[in-house]
Amino acid sequence: MRLAWNAEDEAFRQELVEFVDAHCPPEALAWGSAPEADGDGHILPAWARAWQAALFDHGWMIPAYPPELGGRNATPVQTLIYLEELARRDIPRSLHFPGYAIVAPSLLEYGNDEQKALVPAAIRGDTVWCIGMSEPGAGSDLAGLSTRAVLDGDRFVVNGQKVWTSYAMIAQQCMCYVRTDPDVAKHKGISVLVIPMDSPGIEVRPLRHITGAEEFAEVFFTDVEVPVANLVGELHGGWRITTGSLAHERGGLWVQGVARARHAAELLGVVAADRGLAADAGVRRAIADAYQRASSLRALGYKGFAGFAQGQAAPEHSFMKLAHSELQNDLYELGMELLGPFGAAVSDERADGGLWWRRFFTTFASKIAGGTSEIQRNIIAQRVLGLPRG
Amino acid sequence: MDFTLTDDQQLLRDSARTLLTKECPEALVRACWEDPAAADPLWAHLAGWCELSDGPLVDLCLFMEEAGAVLLPGPFFATAALYRPLVRALGDDPGDAAGTVALAGASGEWTVSADAVRTFVLDADRVSRVAVVAPGPSVFVTDRLPAAEVELLDRTVRAFELEVPASPAGVRPIDVEALARVVDGATVALAASMVGTARRMLEMSVDYAKERVQFDVPIGSFQAVQHKLADMALDVERATAAVYYAAMALDATDADRHRAVHAAKAAAGDAVRRAAKDGIQVHGGIGYTWEHPLHLFIRRAYTTEHLLGTTSWHLDRLADLLLG
Repeated sequence: MRLAWNAEDEAFRQELVEFVDAHCPPEALAWGSAPEADGDGHILPAWARAWQAALFDHGWMIPAYPPELGGRNATPVQTLIYLEELARRDIPRSLHFPGYAIVAPSLLEYGNDEQKALVPAAIRGDTVWCIGMSEPGAGSDLAGLSTRAVLDGDRFVVNGQKVWTSYAMIAQQCMCYVRTDPDVAKHKGISVLVIPMDSPGIEVRPLRHITGAEEFAEVFFTDVEVPVANLVGELHGGWRITTGSLAHERGGLWVQGVARARHAAELLGVVAADRGLAADAGVRRAIADAYQRASSLRALGYKGFAGFAQGQAAPEHSFMKLAHSELQNDLYELGMELLGPFGAAVSDERADGGLWWRRFFTTFASKIAGGTSEIQRNIIAQRVLGLPRG
Repeated sequence: MDFTLTDDQQLLRDSARTLLTKECPEALVRACWEDPAAADPLWAHLAGWCELSDGPLVDLCLFMEEAGAVLLPGPFFATAALYRPLVRALGDDPGDAAGTVALAGASGEWTVSADAVRTFVLDADRVSRVAVVAPGPSVFVTDRLPAAEVELLDRTVRAFELEVPASPAGVRPIDVEALARVVDGATVALAASMVGTARRMLEMSVDYAKERVQFDVPIGSFQAVQHKLADMALDVERATAAVYYAAMALDATDADRHRAVHAAKAAAGDAVRRAAKDGIQVHGGIGYTWEHPLHLFIRRAYTTEHLLGTTSWHLDRLADLLLG
């Protein structure tokens, strides 16, 4: 056990730092302190598109991938260093995650040659993707989805509704989970289709979420025709494709959340000083406790990474999502509390422009999306501790 | 930071676990409640392991984690985590003696004190040497001093109060940083033992939840019980990581080390208190009996939580570092 990585890996960090200093647009550098730092699915600003393309072209988009896929064949430790450096300065590599983080690895693993050819543009951000997963009746119980695709000759006919679909308003393609066999166990009748968003019969209705932003949408499918060639993997074999993220980055998925939590814990000290609360014993202890949770969670992330890098099952990762989403939610609520009367002010500069309430609200989503905190606890209990299913 | 254990560290942990599980069964812990001398044969086995205190703190923590899991009694902690590092900080050879450190004054806080007494001096009646920290800061090392026991919840952790000799011989100055390093190291080593204690309570509770049948099913299939155990496990994992991070930071004299030490003791405190409280809740009535071993762990949990600074005390120190 030691604090520092080896010299070769630190040289990798240096090269990245130099690239970022030379190429990163100011908007990306300021992203961490932007109150709206969680994206607006309506808009994909030009700087964000250019930045993602630059990262791809220089092999810094997904470092573990080969150069033709926007990488440089980086090792797991180097990938972690990459995520660390971006998180340290809160620089986003992309403002639309589905394409590079979910679609690309899924198509590379399960897609046919034609589908694999879609991958570079997905990673470079030239094509915007959305993921059709959740439905009004299928949230935590995702396998209960009911959007129906009926095979009819050389095409599927799709009918149904998706919801919480991020970026659907601007997406060109949808990787969509559909029910192809309603007569078998629910996990066994699901398939995945690539559906062009300009197909006749698709209607997108922006869904305004609780901060007021329109980040995601409802997507309605009415007799949408999809060529059979757009089936990803095997017919009825779609449940296997719910992997959801880049396998080789899974060891570092916590990095950004944990860096934000540490940063927020430090910012709380500034808020307390501004509000004249820096000597208040209760406030001091609450801030120290927040910092302690963030800093021990960061250490846990690295501990899990050590196992991940050696190819072991790393139970720490089951804990990371649960812990950092709840921690961030608590941190931002504490920030609102420290602001006193201004805690509920929407955009007043005495309330840091509304940063605290807005992030407090957006971190509700962190505790729900991608498996709720309760589902995470079930997973820990059953898969890590080996307790029986209820 | 790299949490990978070296082959030597893996071996160290495995042999410590094998030795301690074999040589420190529950029966020995219970025997020590009646007579502290019951741990003497075990101490003969462990004296050699005290040399761990001369190496990286990470190694000592690996041993202490296992020690906490079996509720190790006797002067190992006082000798390996306090006495030997302090004597080494003076530039002396600690030899093979079992020793302890007298630091906390009348208030019980582990900060340099000018009081006439020292409190929470561990194992003071059974070690042969006592290193007393005095204002300056300075240190003098003496033979055992007369001491009165302050009985703690866990009778196998034995604390004493003693009077500081009026004009001691051999008083020597010690560098403030060097003294802080000794106390920081001991704090992290104690936190490592708390992690071991918490992890063992978690294991006992998980095992019990799988076995205990109510309403015709194991209680561990109930979501309310599962979520309690998941939260216990999260706190144990977090505390483990915080402890070894602090040990690495001290080993590397990293700028973050003081914050890391306070965070480690606080995280270990969170873990051990939750494991104690929710552990007994999962066990139900059987955990409330003297016969069941759980209370031995709960007693160790709260005894170590209150040694070398409570969770709140460390949070307040951490706040001083963060907020000035």
